[in-house]
Amino acid sequence: MSEELLYPLLWLIPVAPLASAIVTALLGPKVLKYRSHLPCWSALAVSFLSSLVLLYSLPSVDSQANKPEIWRAGEDATAQAEQPAGEAATAQPESTDGGSAASGESEESRLAAAVAALKAKSDAEPKVGPEIVAFGFEWLHVGKLEVPFELRVDSISAIMLSMVTGVSLLVAMFGSGYMHHDAGYPRFFAAVSMFVFSMCMLVMANSFVLLFVFWEMVGLCSYLLIGFWFHKPSAAAASKKAFVVNRIGDFGLIMAIFLIWTSFGSVSFSDVLGNPATIARLHSVAPSLMPAICFCLFLGAMGKSAQFPLQVWLPDAMEGPTPVSALIHAATMVTAGIYLVARCTPLFEYAPLVQLTVTGTGAITAALAALIALTQTDLKRVLAYSTVSQLGFMFMALGCGAAGAELVTPAVTAGMFHLFTHAFFKALLFLAAGSVMHAMGDVIDMRRFSGLKRALPITHWTFLVGAAALAGVPLLAGFWSKDEILAVLIAAAKTSQYGLFFGIVLVIASLTALLTAFYTFRAYFMTFCGPEKFPEEAGHHPHEATPIMAWPLRILAVSALLIGLAVGPTHLFAGYLQRTTGLTPVEGHFHLDVMALSVFIATTGIGLAWMLYVAMPTVPAKIATVLKPFYALSQGKFFLDEILLVLVVFPLRAIAWLSTLFDRLVIDGLIDGVARVPRTLSDRLKGLQGGPVTAYAGVMWIGMVAAVVLAMTLL
Amino acid sequence: MNSWMQQHPATVLGLVLWAIGLLWLMPGRKSGASRTPRTGVLIAVAGLLSFFAGCGKSNSDLASEVMFWVFATGALGGGVLMISSRNPVYGALWFAIATLCTCGLFMLQSAPFLAAATIIVYAGAVIVTFLFVIMLAQQSGAAGYDQRSQQVWPASLGAFVFLGSMAMVLQSDPPRYERVEIVAAETPAEQPGTMVALDPTKPVIAPQPPAIPNFLSRADSKAPVGSMKGLGRSLFGDYLFAVELAGTLLLVASIGAIAIAPRREEGAL
Amino acid sequence: MSVPFGPEEIRILLVAAGLFVLGAIGFVTRRNLILLVLSAELMLHGVSLSLVTFGKIHQNSEGQAFTIFVLTVAACEAGLALSLVLSLYRKSHSLDIRLWSELRESDVNPPDQGESLPAAVSTSAYDGIPKLTPAGVAPVGTAGHP
Repeated sequence: MSEELLYPLLWLIPVAPLASAIVTALLGPKVLKYRSHLPCWSALAVSFLSSLVLLYSLPSVDSQANKPEIWRAGEDATAQAEQPAGEAATAQPESTDGGSAASGESEESRLAAAVAALKAKSDAEPKVGPEIVAFGFEWLHVGKLEVPFELRVDSISAIMLSMVTGVSLLVAMFGSGYMHHDAGYPRFFAAVSMFVFSMCMLVMANSFVLLFVFWEMVGLCSYLLIGFWFHKPSAAAASKKAFVVNRIGDFGLIMAIFLIWTSFGSVSFSDVLGNPATIARLHSVAPSLMPAICFCLFLGAMGKSAQFPLQVWLPDAMEGPTPVSALIHAATMVTAGIYLVARCTPLFEYAPLVQLTVTGTGAITAALAALIALTQTDLKRVLAYSTVSQLGFMFMALGCGAAGAELVTPAVTAGMFHLFTHAFFKALLFLAAGSVMHAMGDVIDMRRFSGLKRALPITHWTFLVGAAALAGVPLLAGFWSKDEILAVLIAAAKTSQYGLFFGIVLVIASLTALLTAFYTFRAYFMTFCGPEKFPEEAGHHPHEATPIMAWPLRILAVSALLIGLAVGPTHLFAGYLQRTTGLTPVEGHFHLDVMALSVFIATTGIGLAWMLYVAMPTVPAKIATVLKPFYALSQGKFFLDEILLVLVVFPLRAIAWLSTLFDRLVIDGLIDGVARVPRTLSDRLKGLQGGPVTAYAGVMWIGMVAAVVLAMTLL
Repeated sequence: MNSWMQQHPATVLGLVLWAIGLLWLMPGRKSGASRTPRTGVLIAVAGLLSFFAGCGKSNSDLASEVMFWVFATGALGGGVLMISSRNPVYGALWFAIATLCTCGLFMLQSAPFLAAATIIVYAGAVIVTFLFVIMLAQQSGAAGYDQRSQQVWPASLGAFVFLGSMAMVLQSDPPRYERVEIVAAETPAEQPGTMVALDPTKPVIAPQPPAIPNFLSRADSKAPVGSMKGLGRSLFGDYLFAVELAGTLLLVASIGAIAIAPRREEGAL
Repeated sequence: MSVPFGPEEIRILLVAAGLFVLGAIGFVTRRNLILLVLSAELMLHGVSLSLVTFGKIHQNSEGQAFTIFVLTVAACEAGLALSLVLSLYRKSHSLDIRLWSELRESDVNPPDQGESLPAAVSTSAYDGIPKLTPAGVAPVGTAGHP
């Protein structure tokens, strides 16, 4: 497809959901009513097809031709810097100077070596992957800050777009069946369209500022959707919690944008991320700059992607309708943080300590969430904690670049690959859980139903596929991506620099993978196996999902079965992703040892779950009584909510109380005192204004006469 | 100020007498029975005549002179009696007299169309409406509040100071305000609206009004001032849009009056 | 060539000022709503007369054209004012403007409401004034009237 045709396509991807959102919001309640899904479906289908076309035709784009002017200039600077006999030594010599000046410290010298290695690579082949930048209009122009409204699609965006629109389309189809009786039907689809629009714009933004705008928009839409049933106090509280916790992360992101603006003088991705020479130069001048920026960026990502200790909002977010949970957990919201960190890899390369933080946070989150998920009895809550845990996995992978420059690309690839496969099977699991909930009359407590295998056959097999994919059963989607993560961790653990750290992380990751397999199949066995039991809300005959709900399940199940196999071992995904600017293509390997480990872990976990919940159903209770404190800890979600309440909320409340007191007593007292003076004075005067209208007219007349007479005598 | 008082004693005397007559006639705090209205009327009319006499001798012919004295006395005398009448019906009738005399003065100022229009609008519509309202609202005759007036002294003092300063300025010697003879622009057709450099020996050339794309708005210096033709040309040429706006205003006002006036269902009248 | 105003113009302008001033006095001193409106109209007469005179002084018809607009506005004003007076009358059954003295602080005493007014004068002179029969009632002397 020629490039001219790609531009309208590029715009079509976000504009279609936006139009759908506007149309549904305006016409939904009065005209469309229970046909409100039609604009949403068609818009998402258009976006999805456009994304697929884009995905297909992007590699053939000649990125040199349509680069924006400013970037080409930056490229020239880089090229100049790379000429060893260049007239004015710009980036390279400076950076080597900076490195040699601090050569006493091994850290610095290692970095300098990494920079040199990067330089060598960028000499060998252009680091610019295929990409399209579509200029929209001049958007912000304040002082020196110029932020055009630009769309940018490169490999990573194209993958994200296809994933987001595809999964959202299936979720929207499922949603129309799931929500068919709801009074807020049009509102739901308007918000979903808006959500998808925001997410598309987030991954297509070409500057940090634009990204931030849609980052906030995503937050807003999640607020609207989590609080969809706002008359439920728990839903209202959950939406508020999600919004407020996200604000903490957003603070970090906005700080990062400020830092980037002050140091780079630009907020455009092309300028900031596309110029390795500039980054290297800045790093040599101010060694603490990149870690600061990256830490702030990671703070933002922590909020959005629910990393410890900001993970508290995500499990509560399932107060919204189940399709919304699927959307948030799989496709739209939580992936933004991963995307941001992956996108900013060129910056993170210069901040190994932050990368270690990323990995460490990911490991803690993954383990913690997995431990909590072990004892939850709410099916959706188990899935929610599994999302938190899997996001932890992704961050674990993303941070592995710290171990060495050659690991950066595999690390990002592994994280993004897990994100990609996770989107499919997590959406599948949530939708299947929604189907269970739908059939059980909105009951989601796993203790109240069991043995649904026969009653809900489609839901059963699709859930089984999803659970298997999540647990890492060989050949399914999750297997391949988790494999990559473990492989990267092993590679990192083998390096000398941070080997011990990554070794510990690797152990945690393996244990977490074991726990994942266990709790996933615990949920599966508790729900679908055992004696058949329905809650009274479900009626006598629980009804299987309607076709409009069943087909998305089937499609997602097939995807979860095959997509990992299709793009993982064939190196399709990695090869495609690694053409993103800032990444270096590397050869794919098969890690047979890692696979063996994964297989062992998955089998052990599933076997344990089978033993405890199918073969010997009385044992778990006994274990619970024996390990009572640990059980309570896990059941109570490690009391993180309560800890946060004590550590954060109570002090803030105390400060607020003090402020109120100060406001009431001091400030109000001052203001009232000041206000009392004119009041006392006016009490003397207001008797003159007794109310008769003609008296006012008389005063006006006297005043006018005085003014005119004065004017006449003066002139 | 002193010199003005010395030069125009008749004007000052007229103003004073006029004010005394008005204060005599106004309904007061106590019952006005002790003051006979006839005396007040006489004082006021004497004051008015003295006031006009103080304005100086005019060059106009006898008929215009007589007409001015009659109409001016009628207008101001009608005004005095209107604001001092104890019965609103009589007040409205004195207002009609004042209006008619004002129209006579319009006529003297070569505005016959305006005179006719004012008579039609006021006598034909406004005063009749007023009388209707008075008869609807005050069926029992003059009410108690019509026998009382308020803040007569400050209002009258302000008013006559105003009037006096007006007279002083207009009659000041040497005159502060002069009539500027304006002749129609005789600029060449190629340069419409150019101003000739100010030269005290030459008359001031009026700047041409900006060309309005309206075929009626052509300068017609032959039409005499005050003629129906001239007025019509000005109204429907230069002020066409304003006339249309005024028509819209009338429509809106009539709708507003209908909307504001009480309904019959509400048991108003 | 500039000449002073002639005495004709001066005295007409003074008459106009006198009309304006009388209207103002009436507006401030009287208490009857209808007389207030009439006084306002008298002020407008004074203004119109000045405008016409200025037009004559300047030898153009703009003063007269402007007076036409004054006339239009006066007619609008009269219509609106009378309907306002009627609706005020419907609320208080009186045309006294002192009854409408809400334009004050709530803790300030209203103007002398307790002032004793003389009773309505209903002498034979007023009996002769024609009165309108309220709408919806058969006129006096017709078959429907008792």
